[in-house]
Amino acid sequence: MNRHRPARALSRALSRALTPLSFSSSSASSSSSSSLSSFPLKHVTRSNFEAALAELRGHVRAADFVAIDLEMTGVTSAPWRDSFEFDRSDVRYLKVRDSAEKFAVVQFGVCPFRWDSSKNSFVAHPHNFYVFPRQELSVDGPSYEFLCQTASIDFLAKYQFDFNACIREGISYLSKRQEDEAFRHLNLAFEDESSVIWSRLKEVRNIPLVSMPDILFSERMKNRFIEWRDRLLLPQNGRFQFQDRTSDFKQFETIFFKMRPALSLNGFTSHQLKLVQLVVKEHFKDLSYVHFEGENSILQQLIVYTESKDDKDLLMKEVKNDHRRQAETKIQAAVGFRHVIDLLSSEKKLIVGHNCFLDIAQIYSKFIGPLPLAAEELASSVNKYFPHIIDTKILLNANHILQQRIKKSKTSLSSAFALLCPHLALSNINTGLPSHSYLSVEVEVDDLRSCNWNSGAKHEAGYDAFMTGCIFAQACSHLGIDFKIQLPSENLAYNERLQKQINLLYLSWTNGDVIDLSTGKKVTESLGSNILKKQYPKIVFENIVLLWGFPSGLKAREIRECITKVFGPTSVTSVYHLDETAVFVQFMKAEMVSDFLLLKEKLEKSDGPISVLHPLAKLLEGGSTHAASYETYKEICGSSISKHLFADQAEVFGIRWKTKLVESKAALDGEENGSLGKENSTMRTAAKAAHKTKHGVVDNLRDNSLCDQIIHSIYAAEDSQLRTTN
Amino acid sequence: MVSLRPLLQRRCLCTKLHDKWSVKQVMKSNFAESLEEIKTRISDSDFIAVSLQKTGSFSAPWQRVLPFDTAETAYCKAKYAAEKFQLLQFAVCPFTISDSKLVAHPYNFLLFPRDEMNIGMPSYSFSCQTSYLASMAQEGFDFNACIYDGISYLSRVQESAAKVRIGNPTAITYQMNSSSTPTVADAVFVERIKSRIKNWKNSCKSSNSRTDDPLVSTLRKLITASEFYGSRPSMSVDVCSERQVQLVLEMLREFSDELVPLIIPGKSGGTQAVRVVLTSSKEDKNFFETELHCQEEEQNKKVRGFREVIDLISASQKPVVSHNSLNDFTFIHSKFIGPLPPNIDEFASSLRLVFPVVLDVSYLMQIIGPLRKVTNIPVAISYLNNHFFAPVDIEIPHQATENEGKLHGYNVVRICHLFAKLCSVLKIPHSSTVSDNEVLPPALEECTNVFNEFSTSTRRIDEDVKVWTKNTRKVSCEQLVLLWGFRSGTTAGKLKSMLHRSHDVFSEEFDVRLVDKSCAIVVFWQPGLSTIFLDVMNGKEVFGALKEMISEGLRAVSFEAYKKVCRLGIWEADLTESMVRAMDEDPDYLVEANPETKLREIYWSSHDSMINLDEL
Repeated sequence: MNRHRPARALSRALSRALTPLSFSSSSASSSSSSSLSSFPLKHVTRSNFEAALAELRGHVRAADFVAIDLEMTGVTSAPWRDSFEFDRSDVRYLKVRDSAEKFAVVQFGVCPFRWDSSKNSFVAHPHNFYVFPRQELSVDGPSYEFLCQTASIDFLAKYQFDFNACIREGISYLSKRQEDEAFRHLNLAFEDESSVIWSRLKEVRNIPLVSMPDILFSERMKNRFIEWRDRLLLPQNGRFQFQDRTSDFKQFETIFFKMRPALSLNGFTSHQLKLVQLVVKEHFKDLSYVHFEGENSILQQLIVYTESKDDKDLLMKEVKNDHRRQAETKIQAAVGFRHVIDLLSSEKKLIVGHNCFLDIAQIYSKFIGPLPLAAEELASSVNKYFPHIIDTKILLNANHILQQRIKKSKTSLSSAFALLCPHLALSNINTGLPSHSYLSVEVEVDDLRSCNWNSGAKHEAGYDAFMTGCIFAQACSHLGIDFKIQLPSENLAYNERLQKQINLLYLSWTNGDVIDLSTGKKVTESLGSNILKKQYPKIVFENIVLLWGFPSGLKAREIRECITKVFGPTSVTSVYHLDETAVFVQFMKAEMVSDFLLLKEKLEKSDGPISVLHPLAKLLEGGSTHAASYETYKEICGSSISKHLFADQAEVFGIRWKTKLVESKAALDGEENGSLGKENSTMRTAAKAAHKTKHGVVDNLRDNSLCDQIIHSIYAAEDSQLRTTN
Repeated sequence: MVSLRPLLQRRCLCTKLHDKWSVKQVMKSNFAESLEEIKTRISDSDFIAVSLQKTGSFSAPWQRVLPFDTAETAYCKAKYAAEKFQLLQFAVCPFTISDSKLVAHPYNFLLFPRDEMNIGMPSYSFSCQTSYLASMAQEGFDFNACIYDGISYLSRVQESAAKVRIGNPTAITYQMNSSSTPTVADAVFVERIKSRIKNWKNSCKSSNSRTDDPLVSTLRKLITASEFYGSRPSMSVDVCSERQVQLVLEMLREFSDELVPLIIPGKSGGTQAVRVVLTSSKEDKNFFETELHCQEEEQNKKVRGFREVIDLISASQKPVVSHNSLNDFTFIHSKFIGPLPPNIDEFASSLRLVFPVVLDVSYLMQIIGPLRKVTNIPVAISYLNNHFFAPVDIEIPHQATENEGKLHGYNVVRICHLFAKLCSVLKIPHSSTVSDNEVLPPALEECTNVFNEFSTSTRRIDEDVKVWTKNTRKVSCEQLVLLWGFRSGTTAGKLKSMLHRSHDVFSEEFDVRLVDKSCAIVVFWQPGLSTIFLDVMNGKEVFGALKEMISEGLRAVSFEAYKKVCRLGIWEADLTESMVRAMDEDPDYLVEANPETKLREIYWSSHDSMINLDEL
């Protein structure tokens, strides 16, 4: 069924839907749903962010661990980028990378857990942050953009996600990289002495005044300024006369600016201000035109009087510093939600997630910097920021005790929660369970503690983070970690019972590919007794041919038939549809791959009757059938473009050849070094594994219509039988 | 003109009251009723104005439609945006103008590309520009309403694909030709099916009276492949080819007073089976057929969703007025008609089949004030108010809706308003002519289907481009050169003075503008100089300041290269990057057709500077 998982979110939705009580109280109201939630959850938007952050700092500092969860606008940018059984771990990473780069994070759940020894219970502080990538700083360059997967958005809507709160009130952010970049720009602008970019005043060119209104206006301004200045200089009781003769005329107001008398200008158009600037520049040596951002970021224009040239320079310097400080504050403010990430990182707390590789990739790409090209690099970078991460999915699958608990090997978030923490999931209901074996958890929001709440709170990031944390705490307890005797100073991250699982994340849940963040190495299915039932024969990536652009409507069965006519009835292990335009054909032997590609090229070159009558002709019909090895799939997955159909993608990607022959292995190794070495080793281990598990060739055609028909008829029969017996 | 005028009328005499304009908001919940309503409005109107709210329009500054874009490159850009972004709001306003009175019926439809049929359509994913969403939020747009209750749709092309995918049985609508002579195999096939059908029919009729053992009846059903279609017994006949479908249908004519054949489409097109439904009488058969027809209609409605409105507009063949027709109609084509064709000519002809007359207020504005590009409709209206006397009295006979506080789609009324004013200023005779003989006044005829607001010629798609927006001068594409590789942070002015000092070709009049921060466009006002410049850039004999600049990375290409970038759809964030990629992709492209100026190996050895000079 994995093939049909369109999104992690969706699979989660299913599992959530399966939890019986989860739906019960989801409110129908959209805008005010947060207040109706019976589960105490701290919703944070930009209006209460500052206060919430300050509070969260204390909670995180005191916490034993912090659970997190993210909601995104999508997971897969094109059907052929979905997660497949045919994903080699490096390809899987490229898919995750693509997903993290394209989709936005719209909700971020943070839930610090602290053991309260006086109450023998955990205290959780679930926070639900609405996040939106609003562009706060005006920088030229590409606009901020993100992709939405329609199915994911629709899924969020089904769970009453408040899009208005997210878009209107969501907290924006800058990644570390973006912040550095912004500061670099700032420094450039301010270092250049001659430049006036910092003042955001365009240099006023001496445009000759042509239009009559302009001339009159300029003249009036000039006279007005002379008058003002002269009055300033009049030693009238040594005081300035503040009350203007034209006090009703609010365009001018005398104020003090940096200990100097100044005239503030109000209600002028930008064109008029330009003229004023010109007037000041041309006629007044002792006046300067200055602007600054006042309260509520309203731009204020001033004419400032300075006593001397030095004083003027000093003023300009002061103004410049002000501008710089303001710009810096703006950048600081734009960092926004990343302060939460910085907090988690600097506190070095144990971070708990559930199947969280994509979440971690999202965090990296949104709040740290562009994702590196290989998973190994990401692992080591992530390890620097978050030295301790634990994945509850790994934990649940790795341990026998826990596996027994979770009988049906359902490790989706909500089913794990229901199975491990029934007392929390089904609170208020007397479950009749022996309560002593369950850890109690209290929820504290805004200094209000509650240990009684209605379950089935809306499935939001904050609640999901809470569930994840509860699962982790309960799992720890099953693993024999006794929080009662655990010293408060003791760091959970160094607990020996967790050492086997710490910093391990599923790169691909489907294939059981695991990555160790502390070493950067991939661990393939080393985790315990695994429960992964392989429905498919082991995949040998060297034996795979990628075919696309074949005549539309050609089914997997037909493709197999074509090929087996040439290479023998057992030559094709499996044919797998990426989408309607592309398939993977797995051959029995690696040589067949190069043979097939060679043959295809030969057939395409010759126009003779042989090529028309050849069994492969059906496959090549239309003349746009392309073929290549698995490496090409990887290359295309690495591209930043996402066309809906694979064939279109390949074209946009710039593939102009029809067949890419596989070179001999040695040449390949020589040509592409580095990451390929590692791949080869995984390929080799995979090949070995395939050799061992030699349990025949399973035909796994997806659209074997004959099979479908049989099944259909059986169902139909059953159906009608039911009807008749009823 | 509008016969059905609701009791409560709202009259707004001046634009300042526009927040009182009542625009009917349509969502999934009230779509069906509104559809009926708008149907009559459309048929009573003279024009239909449309206005679209998109989730974004361009990803990088250079990907906007720029003043120097030709019709073709502008289309490429619009196409890219239309394929990438999504529509969330579609305002439609059928209106009539008589004298100075404008009667408008604005509707604002909220759209969301929900996959209603579970077939991965209409849209797998779409992009959003955060600034667009943020400004929509500022205007009070209700995203929850849009996503929860927006109307979905399928394009015409998607609909036909969906019919196959959904696999609903369809009644036979086409006439069969029995011209081909039957073979022996055919005869055998027909006989076999015929006897099966006869047996089944008889058993159906007789089984009514008999009560069977459930198991036996189940087995019989399994064997004869009989089942129920609704309450009527039916039976499937598997077919292997369209030929067999024909044979079965022909044979069934014999039983035409009792049996109704249905086509069961295969998963990947074609026919999988013919289902035969047994009706009890002639009347029952007629009843069943109308039932089927209704079902199909219902299904179609559900599938088409909002596109019903597009189809209504299209069917009316009335002139459609929009503000930014190229952008709007590329969106409309890609979302509601089908994938966008590769070039503007095909696009224009494909669109003409659906909307024969498209009028663009921006273009009409240009006729009045050639230097004005309408970026903002209120500004255009106030411009007209200041310069011309063209009073327009707006009347919106809608009933006021309760939730008036949060209404959107005023823009479409503004478009109507502006259009009415323009008609009055341009002395275009009013509706009478339009509705009487369905022919546009010649003045408007001139302005239809102009998709490049920048090019001055109307029909002919022009290779000439207008360069700077102020003080427009016309130049040929050949006089344009794109430059990149100058120091970052260089302003156009600086670059111009640097170039001026660098070589003789710059002693004549020329101009420089930055396209984005890394790429500039140079226009040589004197024809021929661009060629000389490109020659110099590619030749060995460069010296002085230009050599210095080249060694620092300066590159120049002809405008052709830019056209190629747009044609190939290489949409990198920086134009420079796109240019370089286009050159990389096909380095021979420029060399092959260029035998005379055979490219010499230049020391920076990059094909970036290979330019086809002969073609210019």
